[in-house]
Amino acid sequence: MINEKHIVSSFDRDLESVQAMVMKMGGLVEAAMLDAAQALDTRDEELAAKVRANDSAIDSMEDQIQHECARLIAVRTPAATDLRTVLSVMRIAGQLERCGDYAKNLAKRSLVLSQLPQIDGATGSIRRMSRTVVMQLKDALDAYIARDLKLAHEVRQRDQEIDQMYNGLFREFLTHMLEDPRNITTCMHLHFIAKNIERVGDHATGIAEQVIYLVEGQLPTDERPKDSGVSALAAASRMEG
Amino acid sequence: MNDMRIADRKVSTETAKMTARGVQVYYGENHALKDVDVDILSGTVTAFIGPSGCGKSTFLRCLNRMNDTVASARVLGEIKLDGENIYDKRVDPVTLRARVGMVFQKPNPFPKSIYENVAYGPRIHGLTRNKAELDEVVEMSLKRAALWNEVKDRLDAPGTGLSGGQQQRLCIARAVATSPEVLLMDEPCSALDPIATAQVEELIDELRSQFSVVIVTHSMQQAARVSQRTAFFHLGHLVEYGETGQIFTNPKDPRTESYITGRIG
Repeated sequence: MINEKHIVSSFDRDLESVQAMVMKMGGLVEAAMLDAAQALDTRDEELAAKVRANDSAIDSMEDQIQHECARLIAVRTPAATDLRTVLSVMRIAGQLERCGDYAKNLAKRSLVLSQLPQIDGATGSIRRMSRTVVMQLKDALDAYIARDLKLAHEVRQRDQEIDQMYNGLFREFLTHMLEDPRNITTCMHLHFIAKNIERVGDHATGIAEQVIYLVEGQLPTDERPKDSGVSALAAASRMEG
Repeated sequence: MNDMRIADRKVSTETAKMTARGVQVYYGENHALKDVDVDILSGTVTAFIGPSGCGKSTFLRCLNRMNDTVASARVLGEIKLDGENIYDKRVDPVTLRARVGMVFQKPNPFPKSIYENVAYGPRIHGLTRNKAELDEVVEMSLKRAALWNEVKDRLDAPGTGLSGGQQQRLCIARAVATSPEVLLMDEPCSALDPIATAQVEELIDELRSQFSVVIVTHSMQQAARVSQRTAFFHLGHLVEYGETGQIFTNPKDPRTESYITGRIG
């Protein structure tokens, strides 16, 4: 990585501006995740409606970033680090847009759930999980701006914790459903929410991998530790048996 | 980058057409080229890039002993063509230059007819036995240079009357008429408009099936477009030499990175 300035200074400004935009977009997504989880936990329908409405701002921000990046490629023909910067901004914007959709979906389901009986402690657990995943997103984006490989690798490693949280919730919801079929509707919604938050975690990992691509010129080739849902499924079949 | 190459970018890395080892060039006291090692592969377009005065043209001119014509120039080290040292006393530079042809920055047709421009080389090297054979070589060379259709009805017209892009393709036709094995091009498109440039680039790509092509260019996009191998020169050193896709996406040397991203001049 090099820190020298371009001879053409407007090139630096262009590159800085697309990166600033993707950081701003990251901020919107983090806020949407936290707000959606809070709306779920506190049955705040107004806040949930706000999250749903704000998703269009995230979407249009993504469009703007993709458009600016395309323009930058056409006008500046970036190479090497500059090219990787533009490509990684485009990919990260795509990942963040997906995360925004998951936050919106969470808000939507929270409106449904606010009409249903509560499951003890479930929404609190979901909220904790989304805080953890937002930390992952934040660290991945911080690692991007600082070109911090160490932090990027940490984010990759930590995704396992989110997988474990998801598996724990999965088992919990299963137990509730087996106990009382009237819980099924609520638990199905909660399960989708947990699964979606787990996916946001995967996107945070994807962003961390873009940091590694940006700095090293290639994506990491090592396997990262995974806690797949397979063990949870096995546990489920044992319960049913 | 595991593999940046798409199918037609593939080159055989097995056969080196020319090899340079420890090449040093002095112009009087000025040490212009410092210890350059490079292999020019068969059937490959190799681009030399670098800022002005970095030694890339100097090195290109070593490959067909054009520097012999510069009184103050001294060339040390070893350059081989098909395993034979081209600086050996027994090598005739004129014959060498028929095998290692050259196209210059500014189109420089002879002040003769289009036909004569192309026929000149084969005639002086005695490559053809009669007029019919010579006609055939002229036609084939003009076709290879993608100029035939534009000039076939006026082969007797002066070469200097053609447009800039046509003149440059005429010079390429003249260079390929002697059936060289290596074609050196020193900024062949710098005086051409984008259409003529695209035609010359298309031509370069076609030519590489028959020759090795070495091109010096100030346009990094051109180097990226036409070459399969790129060598970056800086202050007389060969800084980095590698697969073109790798050089332009993930160069290993920070000086290469700075240059191709527009950070040093």
